[in-house]
Amino acid sequence: MIYRESGQFKTTYAADQAMLPILQDKIFVLAVIALAVALPFLVSNYVIQALLLPFLIYSLAAIGLNILVGYCGQISLGTGGFMAVGAFAAWNILTRMPEMPILVGFVLGALCASGAGVLFGLPALRIKGFYLAVTTLAAQFFLVWLLQRPFFVDYSATGVISAQEIQLLGWTVDSGIDKYLFALAVVVIMALVAKNLVRSSTGRKWMAIRDMDVAAEIIGIRPMMTKLKAFAVSSFFVGLAGILWAYLYLGQLEANAFDIYTSFDVLFMVIIGGLGSILGSFLGAAFVVLVPIFLNIVPGWLGLPLDTAMVSYIEVFTFGALIIFFLIVEPHGLARLWTIAKQKLRLWPFPY
Amino acid sequence: MAAQPQESAGAARAGESLLKVEDVQLSFGGVHALRNVSFEIRRRQIFSIIGPNGAGKSSMLNCINGFYQPSAGTITYKGEPRKQMRPYQAASQGIARTFQNIALFTGMSTLDNIMTGRHLKAQSTLVENALWIGRARREEMAHRHFCEEIIDFLEIQQHRKTPVGTLPYGLQKRVELGRALAAEPELLLLDEPMAGMNLEEKQDMARFILDVNDQYGMTIALIEHDMAVVMDLSDRIVVLDHGEKIGEGTPDEVSSDPRVIEAYLGTQQEEEA
Ligand SMILES: Nc1ncnc2c1ncn2[C@@H]1O[C@H](COP(=O)(O)OP(=O)(O)OP(=O)(O)O)[C@@H](O)[C@H]1O
Ligand SMILES: [Mg+2]
Repeated sequence: MIYRESGQFKTTYAADQAMLPILQDKIFVLAVIALAVALPFLVSNYVIQALLLPFLIYSLAAIGLNILVGYCGQISLGTGGFMAVGAFAAWNILTRMPEMPILVGFVLGALCASGAGVLFGLPALRIKGFYLAVTTLAAQFFLVWLLQRPFFVDYSATGVISAQEIQLLGWTVDSGIDKYLFALAVVVIMALVAKNLVRSSTGRKWMAIRDMDVAAEIIGIRPMMTKLKAFAVSSFFVGLAGILWAYLYLGQLEANAFDIYTSFDVLFMVIIGGLGSILGSFLGAAFVVLVPIFLNIVPGWLGLPLDTAMVSYIEVFTFGALIIFFLIVEPHGLARLWTIAKQKLRLWPFPY
Repeated sequence: MAAQPQESAGAARAGESLLKVEDVQLSFGGVHALRNVSFEIRRRQIFSIIGPNGAGKSSMLNCINGFYQPSAGTITYKGEPRKQMRPYQAASQGIARTFQNIALFTGMSTLDNIMTGRHLKAQSTLVENALWIGRARREEMAHRHFCEEIIDFLEIQQHRKTPVGTLPYGLQKRVELGRALAAEPELLLLDEPMAGMNLEEKQDMARFILDVNDQYGMTIALIEHDMAVVMDLSDRIVVLDHGEKIGEGTPDEVSSDPRVIEAYLGTQQEEEA
């Protein structure tokens, strides 16, 4: 089996443990980032706001959920709820303390989401699988209900609560391009953080709990601490995604934007993209964001315009079929297909 | 026959008491898995627990590393009698083990499994790991170095990055030993490390066990059904049958004890005949 490029021998463990040990991968990632920075200048504002921004923010949420589900083997249907906590906490903190730098407010908001994640993760210490899913589902509904209480936001005055404008170091984030670049910076940094975590002792503990919790405990891993850390970190990412959703995408605070369908969408991204893969989180997010658009456009090209109801049926059907496919055939999702393609490419044109 | 020890195991090199089991009892509903079992393991010993199927051998190891709580009796480890304890606490006191049915982290590579076994030595915090600063980077290198030595020792270099689930059975047993060794335990519990192996694999495993004991002075508690291996490796043997201790002593003493022959060696010969 070949897992290294020929000619690139690792002479130190440091080199082998680098985040991207293979040169081609490094070049590829840098090229993708360069393209991502250039992209908003090449496409219309509509594409940025309706496609690229949701893709980035969903990617962040998917990374967060993947840490919990794909790396630590727990389950959560409360993603939407934790996103809402992040957004509402950040808004409340920034409203009540207007002097606070906005980034600090965002971090504190995400930390509140972390706290909520730990709180609703507590049952995971006793229960697994289906029962845990139900508990987190309850969290979803409870949190969205709670955040609409007047203590957190008072809709009575205007009916709409706008998010504060993002300003840092004299840069006002207001145009589509600004918003996109801001989101891109956050997502790239957080993806690096996630990658660091999963390749460190923290990540190995999560995976040990996922693969066999009994054996994990016997080699000295404390199951409670490890699971709660996964809930905390996961919800931090998810909360941050919620903040970006409110501040960049919606521009306003709206609890119902974080409904149960958001939770399912993010879960679909994780499953389709690949459980236990950071790259997969991006692929899954791209897929879930693009498919509906694809379904809207392609039949038109083919001269078979479908009505919107039909499109949404096809959408639901496609996701359902894909999820069953990936869960049964390829739990490592699109990310795994990508790895296989890469391995083929390495051997190409000599397949032996 | 299966193993060729490089050095005849002598009781003389045994050191002070490491683990003392006194009158330990364990029952599951009506089944008495252990009844008043007592023995003592000394430092640097290879101590074997033998007995027919269902004798309570695995249950004994499970009590030692906190997986089961004995219903009566005391276990004294490093001079301290201990109360209720969780397996992770036993691990942090220096007790590592392998399982009768392999319990590896199947989604992870050989290297990652062994690195996970080393986590008790990792001090870096979540934040350090997230930002890959401070101890995170330094420790990762140091641990990688240590784990590579284990990989060399166990001769599994070419399987370093292979997901362990795809490895053949004999190699999985080796990786599991590697994961236990990574913790640098003081007491290593091995539950049938050679079960299901062919002669050659058994010889390799016996060599590893002897080397670990010899070079690192690690104390080993071993469960094994292959009598030739047990007689060759052990400094001391305790024999269990139906949860009771029916014999204890050096390999020579045990193999000539009529009760042991009747209860264990006899039945095995019948089965083989
Ligand atoms: N978790 C459990 N629940 C119920 N009974 C158990 C449990 N674990 C062990 N036992 C019972 O305790 C007795 C001793 O089992 P144990 O696994 O310790 O035997 P063993 O000597 O390791 O046997 P083997 O050689 O087959 O591995 C058996 O009768 C077994 O059925
Ligand atoms: Mg057993």
